[in-house]
This record gives sequence, C-alpha cells and structure tokens, in this order.
Amino acid sequence: MTMSFSAPLVKIQSLHKSYGPHIQVLKGLDIEMKPGERVVVIGPSGGGKSTLLRVMMGLEKIDSGSISFGGKPYISSEGADRKTEIDTEVRRSIGMVFQHYTLFPHLSVIQNLILAPCKVRGEAKASATKRAQALLERFGLGAKANAYPAQLSGGQKQRVAIARALMLDPKLMLFDEVTSALDPELVAEVEQVILQLAAQDMPMMIVTHDMWFAKNIASRVIFCAGGVVVEDGPPEQVLGSPKEERTRDFIDRVFHIRH
Amino acid sequence: MGYSFDFQSVSFGPLWEGLIVTLELTVAANIIGVVLGFPLALLIMSRFAPVRLPAMLFVEFFRCTPAIVQIVWFFYCVPMLFNVFLGSMTMGILALGLNLMAFNAEAYRAAIQAVPREQLDAGIALGLNPLQRTLYIVLPTAVRASIPVLLTNGIGIFQQTALVAIVAVQDLMYQAKTLATETYRPIETFTIVALVYFAVSFPVSQIVGYLERRRQLMMS
Repeated sequence: MTMSFSAPLVKIQSLHKSYGPHIQVLKGLDIEMKPGERVVVIGPSGGGKSTLLRVMMGLEKIDSGSISFGGKPYISSEGADRKTEIDTEVRRSIGMVFQHYTLFPHLSVIQNLILAPCKVRGEAKASATKRAQALLERFGLGAKANAYPAQLSGGQKQRVAIARALMLDPKLMLFDEVTSALDPELVAEVEQVILQLAAQDMPMMIVTHDMWFAKNIASRVIFCAGGVVVEDGPPEQVLGSPKEERTRDFIDRVFHIRH
Repeated sequence: MGYSFDFQSVSFGPLWEGLIVTLELTVAANIIGVVLGFPLALLIMSRFAPVRLPAMLFVEFFRCTPAIVQIVWFFYCVPMLFNVFLGSMTMGILALGLNLMAFNAEAYRAAIQAVPREQLDAGIALGLNPLQRTLYIVLPTAVRASIPVLLTNGIGIFQQTALVAIVAVQDLMYQAKTLATETYRPIETFTIVALVYFAVSFPVSQIVGYLERRRQLMMS
C-alpha cells in the first residue's frame, strides 16, 4: 500500500450548483471520502443529494468548485468562463445506478452488460460475454441472460443495472435511490446485492430513504439539507443520536413514518 | 330501387394493372419517405438555424397544404419553374415521396425526442461518447418507436396515390374511372375498388395496432 490511509479517494471542494438564477441546489459542499468508505447520504427532498451524485458522475454542470478522484481533479468550474470541465478518463472509474432502471429496452440482459465494455474499452465480445455471464450467475440472474428488460421484475432490472455498471470495473459506485421505485417486496434482493459488494470493500456513495438499509451498509452517514452538509459522522451517531437539531428533526420524522 | 347489380361487366384486367401501378407508387414513395425522413428529422432538430429553418419550412409546406394541391403543383409548376420534364409516374412518385418524407421526419423527430433522458444518462455513466450514444441508444430506440407511425403514414400514402389519377397516372383509381365510364357501371366498379384499397390497408392497420399494444407492454 503506497497510498497512506488518510489520502482521500474523493475530494469535493466548495461545490456550487444552481438550476436557473433562483434555485440553488448545492451551496458550497465539501466532502472528503476515504478509500473503502461507504457513505450514505440522507436528507429531505430537494436537499441536493441526488444532484450531488449526478454532479460526481458528470451528468450536471456546476457553477463552481471541483471534485477530484484518487488525487486527480476531474470535474471543475474555476476558470473565468465558468465552464464545467470533465476529465472523462478519470470519470470512467466511477459507476452509477439510477432510481429508474435505465436498462436499454432494445437490448437483452447480456447485451446491456457487454455494450460498454465492447464499445468503450474495445474488449472482445467473447471475453466480455464470459465476464457478464459470471457476474449474472453471482447475482442469481444466470437464467435471464437472454431475456429482455421488459420481461424482468423491477428488482431483477435493478440487479442487472448494478451488474452492468460493474462490468467496467469501477473504483467507486454511486447508487441514487436505487430502491425507491421498487415494490416493497423487491427491495431486499437489490439491497442484498449492494451489501454483497460492500462485503468486498467496494467504495460507494449511496442516496437512500431506507433507514434500515442506511444503518446496515453505511460506514459513514452524511445528512445533507439546503445544499450543505449539516451533519457528518458514523451511522450510530447521525442516525442514532444526531447532534444537530435539523438532523434530529429529520430522523424523528422518518422513523415516525416508518413505525 | 330497381337497380340490378352487374359485376360481370366489370373487367378485372385494367383494375389489376392499376393496382400494380398503385403499389409501385406506394413502395417508391415509402422508400423515399422512410430513408430520407430520418436525415430530415436530424436537420429539423439542428441547433443551427440556417439548417433548421429551411428543413422546417419544407415539412410545414407538406403538412399544411392538401396533398392534391401538392400533386397538381408538382405536375404543372415544376416543369415550368425548373424546366424539367419528367414522366407522370416519376412526378407522382416525387410528389408523394416528398410528402411522406415530411410526415415521416416528424414521426422520427417525435421518437428521437421521446428517448428518455435517463437512458442517455445511463449511456454517459457507462462512458459512451455522444456518437456512441446516438448510434447504440437513440437510433435503435427511436426507429423502433416510430415504426407504427411510419406504417400508418405509409398506408396513408397508399390511399393518397388515388389522387395522382387526376394527373393521368394510370393507377387503380384512374383505371376505375375509365372502366366506370366505359361500362356505365360506376357502383360496381367503385365498390370493387374500395374493397381492393380496404383489403390492402386493413391488414397493415391491424399490424399497427398489434405493434402499439406490444410496445406498451415493452415500456411498462
């Protein structure tokens, strides 16, 4: 291990993002994430959680700030022209799974998995197919390789989406409310897969409203509201005995609804 | 009423020849419309106004004037304006083909814009570049989505071909008119002709219905 333990995997510095002139979503966000950390981001709707992940993936422009990954800055907007610069080479180390299953409907499961490896990395079809099949087996989807997305349940689609992202060997996974659109009985199978990844020390940042899941997967919880980090700490603290008033309010309300 | 039907005196020979011409017009117009409609759709969506505006004008011209006017205009004005003299069949194909191209361009445009934003986000997250996203995500999804509309437009143009009879293209309608005059049997002749148009159109419209139902299942 050449990297010291404290060297951040992700470093987000004074991130600002607004939609139009009036709606400021991120108001100077600073987050440092160490290798191997599993960060769960919680908070009220409109607090900037999903925007944060979308910005990290390079799906949104930013007003100012920068993000670096493994010591390399890859997203920034600091010049006079305020143009968002994205280093796509660095970004390729990051995988993302979305709330709405974004499988390509015209491709079979296996074709969904091998599209990017073959087209982006130029991997041979045979080798990509072999890796994809192995990954599907691991996720209990071996029999679905030739099925089309329309033939799968929501939970299966979401597991395929996770497998598809893993095909590119990401060094960080972003999960944006991946169980929010699922029927309740399908949530567990998707969370199991993510827990399985966590057991292999995959660094991840997760936005979720599922507090049980947050408690079980997080090595660290960030409470994000009004475009800033309100509280940041181990799950026992932020979820169990939050220090900040706003965090406490939120946690109380969430658990009140759930019980 | 006292009218005694006489289907015997309607000879099928000319009608058959007319149907062949009608089908030729339909196929040729559809080739123009399906193939050239797509690049036209891309022009309509161009961010560059000098490209976009003429393309939009082209589409709106065909959408906002009656097809029969377009055919007559083509037949009488194009030779005089541009000094080109083409056979009536070629003229018919061009008029119908360009008309269909305009309508199909709109179908393609709607389908391209209907590709969900999330699909493109997923493409970005997988590292596909803009060209790869267009080729592997937008194009296949959009073309599939537009097939029912393309078929509906195509069968529409099959029926519109009847209009070229007025500029002396010897299609099914032209043959029917001649036959009806010769035999004094307009009721029988046009009933048969209506059934022929129906017999070709109906299966296609059933296919469209089937494709749309299947698509709804796919998207759910």
